[in-house]
Amino acid sequence: MSPPIGSAAPRETGRETLARARARAALIPDLLVEARKVAGNVYAGWHGRRKRGIGEDFWQFRPYVAGENMAAIDWRRSARDDHVYVRDREWQASHMVWLWVDESPSMLFKSQQAKVAKQSRSLVLAFALAELLARSGERLGWLGVSPPIVSRHAAERLGEALLVAPAQSDFPSAHEVRSHCDVILISDFLQQDGDLEARLRQFARQGARGHLVQIADPAEQLFPYSGRVEFMDPETGNKLTAGNARGLKAEYEALFVSHVAKIRTLAAGLGWSHTLHRTDHLASQALASLHVHLTQDRGTR
Amino acid sequence: MIAGLPIAFASPMILSALILLPAIWWLLRLTPPKPQSELFPPLAILARIIKREETPARSPWWLTLLRLAMAALVIIAMSGPVLNPREARLTGEGPVALIIDNGWASAAQWESRLETARMLIDEAEAANRPVVLVETAGGPGQDTRPVSASQARSLLESLPARPLKPSHQLAAELARVLVRDHNPGSLFFLSDGLLREDTAEFAAAFAGAPGTKTVINADAKDIVALVDVRNDPDALTGTIERVASGVPALVTIEAFDSKGLPLARQPVSFDAGSAQAQFRLEQPVELRNQIARINVVENRNAGSVQLLDDRFRRRLVGLLSGEGADQSQPLLAPLYYISKALSPFSDIRNSTSPNIAEAVPQLLAQDVSAIVLADVGNLPEDAQKALTDWVQKGGTLIRFAGPRLAASGDDPLLPVKLRLGDRNLGGALSWETPKAVAPFERGSPFFGIEAPKEVSVKRQVLALQDGDLDRKTWAVLEDGTPLVTAEKRASGWIVLFHVGSDAEWSNLPISGTFVEMLRRVVSQSQSSGASDGDAPTVTLPPLSILNGSGDLLPPDISVKPLQVGAQLAPVVSVDNPPGLYGTEDGFISLNLFKGGETLNQIDLSLFANGTSVAAYASDNAFNMAPWLLAFAALLMTLDCLAVLWIAGVLRPKLAGATAAAALIAAILLVLPVPQSNAQTAPAAETDFSAALTTRLAFVETGDSEVDRISRAGMVGLTRYLSSRTALEPGEPVGLDLSKDELAFFPVIYWPISMSAPLPDNATMARVDAFMKQGGTVLFDTRDQATGVLGGTSGSPEAQRLRLILSGLDIPPLQPVPPDHVLTKSFYLLSAFPGRYSGGELWVEQQINDSDAGAVRPARAGDGVSAILITSNDLAAAWAIDDAGEAILPVVSQDFMQREMSYRTGVNIMMYAMTGNYKADQVHIPALLERLGQ
Repeated sequence: MSPPIGSAAPRETGRETLARARARAALIPDLLVEARKVAGNVYAGWHGRRKRGIGEDFWQFRPYVAGENMAAIDWRRSARDDHVYVRDREWQASHMVWLWVDESPSMLFKSQQAKVAKQSRSLVLAFALAELLARSGERLGWLGVSPPIVSRHAAERLGEALLVAPAQSDFPSAHEVRSHCDVILISDFLQQDGDLEARLRQFARQGARGHLVQIADPAEQLFPYSGRVEFMDPETGNKLTAGNARGLKAEYEALFVSHVAKIRTLAAGLGWSHTLHRTDHLASQALASLHVHLTQDRGTR
Repeated sequence: MIAGLPIAFASPMILSALILLPAIWWLLRLTPPKPQSELFPPLAILARIIKREETPARSPWWLTLLRLAMAALVIIAMSGPVLNPREARLTGEGPVALIIDNGWASAAQWESRLETARMLIDEAEAANRPVVLVETAGGPGQDTRPVSASQARSLLESLPARPLKPSHQLAAELARVLVRDHNPGSLFFLSDGLLREDTAEFAAAFAGAPGTKTVINADAKDIVALVDVRNDPDALTGTIERVASGVPALVTIEAFDSKGLPLARQPVSFDAGSAQAQFRLEQPVELRNQIARINVVENRNAGSVQLLDDRFRRRLVGLLSGEGADQSQPLLAPLYYISKALSPFSDIRNSTSPNIAEAVPQLLAQDVSAIVLADVGNLPEDAQKALTDWVQKGGTLIRFAGPRLAASGDDPLLPVKLRLGDRNLGGALSWETPKAVAPFERGSPFFGIEAPKEVSVKRQVLALQDGDLDRKTWAVLEDGTPLVTAEKRASGWIVLFHVGSDAEWSNLPISGTFVEMLRRVVSQSQSSGASDGDAPTVTLPPLSILNGSGDLLPPDISVKPLQVGAQLAPVVSVDNPPGLYGTEDGFISLNLFKGGETLNQIDLSLFANGTSVAAYASDNAFNMAPWLLAFAALLMTLDCLAVLWIAGVLRPKLAGATAAAALIAAILLVLPVPQSNAQTAPAAETDFSAALTTRLAFVETGDSEVDRISRAGMVGLTRYLSSRTALEPGEPVGLDLSKDELAFFPVIYWPISMSAPLPDNATMARVDAFMKQGGTVLFDTRDQATGVLGGTSGSPEAQRLRLILSGLDIPPLQPVPPDHVLTKSFYLLSAFPGRYSGGELWVEQQINDSDAGAVRPARAGDGVSAILITSNDLAAAWAIDDAGEAILPVVSQDFMQREMSYRTGVNIMMYAMTGNYKADQVHIPALLERLGQ
């Protein structure tokens, strides 16, 4: 018998908290390093606010307008001619971004075709985003894990917070979220559809803009099974037996596409973005697409 | 026996188990294969489809069918089915007579003949009837009294297939005796399928017998006989016979020498409808002379073998010249070119006497096959008479023209009448130009030889025009005048070359064509048997005898000596079966066929109506059980594959490979394992070439750069050696010390590389053995460290070397002293530079070095130092690329250093090859000094 196509990546039980902490401590530095690498690729295209405002970097000199704070006058520049100039700085106001990664048992699924489990890839994406956002000084929070923090090392700190927090297997509540912030939800979205829609509407009601990243394993999308197969749901433990799995392939694929389309429609209805990412693709693909969605949002604001 | 189908079952009752098949069907349907278990998170999505899917709780119908077929096959196999079963044939009462053709044609199927006879004897035993066994090839005097079945069985088991032709006349007599004396109740004739001369007589006697008569007939279409072999001038030709058949056939003949080594192999094809095929073995005459046996590969019987004896061997040729043998100018001697041309394929006998009257009897006494008379004019009367007799008995007389022949008158020992005097072409008084030779015509023995363009004839003797001159002419010049004429006298030949045997009249004798022409002429002569005519009758003991299968075996006690004489042609009989008779030094061969025989299928209509005809049953009785079981095993494998496939183990990408592997494994399991014919691995190809050519060798360290330079260095030194010395080594070889045979190499260059793994003990033992047996290993540390072995401060390479050498039995070493042979073995050298020049060359210390008091001019140490150590990186200095340019620069100011490094290599090679031979050189000052005194 050949080994099964899909397997569950190691998952810790509640009793073994210590072992779990250690395992995740071992996992997270790796993910951070990888996230840094991925972030480095994207940062070049990440521009600043391109507006004057409160910040540290020089933006422009402009003539002093009467009534302005005298302290704002740049005397060195003004001494060069007869006008008085004010040094403007680039606006560097930070933005509030909430991250969340689904850690339910189904996220631990990993098939032969995939390089990593879905949860592992999700964490990589989340930390990579955190790294990117922290570099531009955004405030970062992790729903249910950590309150917002502003730090160059926000990614590490979120990682530390994640170490001690319980596994995020339930969908987060929206009570922490305020208006004008971004919420990035990374999950396989295999929950019951009605429940999901209600939760997402809560976020929208709070005034947040959401970005859904749907993680899928290639086996989930392509259905590479054949012969007589007994399928088991890792969350519920339900079992189903297919007499000729290959015969189901076309039908299943169509259903999966419609499932993805439903999530996408849901997101579009709320004005949110939606990204489908498969774990056998490169993490940077999803990252780049997320980056596009995030900057587009800023452009419309 | 099932009606319509030639199948019988040994135990038909087992077939009733087939009733169980429906039960098996029902059972099989109930056990579905276990599914593959898979985790699958989007189960909710899948659930929407699977709800509608009918999960099969039972095996698929085709799998059940497969298993049912398997069960049915096993049941049928157990019941012992036999295809074409044998039939019981014995009816009637009284003695059972078996008349068996046990001649050569039965040998190939002898076992099936015996099987049939055994079966009949078994049946006779069951019916309690006595048996008479008669063999048609067994000779007269056979016992025709009936014996008990068990006795008959033991007689049968000792009955060989004889290498003889069955005699049906004898069989007829025996059958008559049998009928008269014992009145057999059943007669069986086990025929080999061939028609004999007296088959009709036998058939009449057989059909006239009372009781039941059965002819068990075989198909003779596969029987072939090698009936004739002739040694023609240009090829060994022969004839193969078969029973005429509408089907073309292909057989292979093979020729062996006297030691049983194959010399030639050739396919021969029978056309459709023909009963005869000819073959030609076009081998060089030297090779042809070694052929001792020819046989047909496909048919292993005594009739498809021809043994060759001296008649096919080299001819003995006597040479006679009219001119006195002038040894001071051998190239002008008349017999010089003839003997050169004849020597490759004949044994030459020169007469010791210059007197022709004495020389001719002398040569004839040596039983020569051919005599060459070069420019002999008038023969003494006695000699002429002796030669005439000899020619008539089969000798071949080859004459060459010349001034003496041209001047002589009428000579009876010439094929044509000659004009007196000779014809001069292209001389000062002639308009004509020298003539070339015209192409040889069909019918001439020379046909097939390319007419030589370069040959021109300046003088010749001319034949008188005669009615049958054309018929006698073997070769003509461009203008049609005969160049070679020949005439058959009784069984011998007289051949005349109309030109001289030296290069004076024409340049024919110095052309290659001349050799070929002489070869053909001589090949046409009979072998020494020419004088057998009045030889006394001799008795030859059997040397080795063919058995029925055509194998040459030592004679058994029943074989009698062979009487051979002038009027006593040897005859194949029971007492004298085919084989070789005589002694190792001289023997004659006796073959079953002498040519002219034909093979025909036996005519069953000769036998009267009361005779029934049957076939050899065991020929095609076929036990199907093993094959059915094998097929069942194959089905089982398929079943396993199917179960795996259903369980989803064989994924699409794996399925092909796994299924193929499983199928192959199944087939290997199922098929009977062929007998392994593996022999011990022959010596490696490289070993052969290494043994044939002296080569430079180097140790492959595994460091590609070092190995590249080593190889290039060896190539460079090889070229230098070839251009400067008599030693011309072959392509250098890189050696893997742990695997390759070292014994072929005089010197092995061993560069020390830090990256090379340390050789293990077994390898060092090989190197040690190589050095002990006279090989020399040249170690090169390539580090230019002086005093490699001195002190503890060696370089890493030197330490490495020390580590390697710790496994060897190394004598004390010393730097090459100035009077060492190495300094003089080819060039005079004072230093041994390589790419570097600082390092010393270390050699074994000479043992007698210790008595320092003795004054000796040279160290004539016996043997060669088994070990040489340098640090100068010799190979790097020798290394050249494909264009012959040096690869690496030498590290020196001295522009001669590279040359000197090559000279070092030459000296080392010469030292290793010649040993202390050059040590004498160092004596020269002492010798000169002594001379001076």
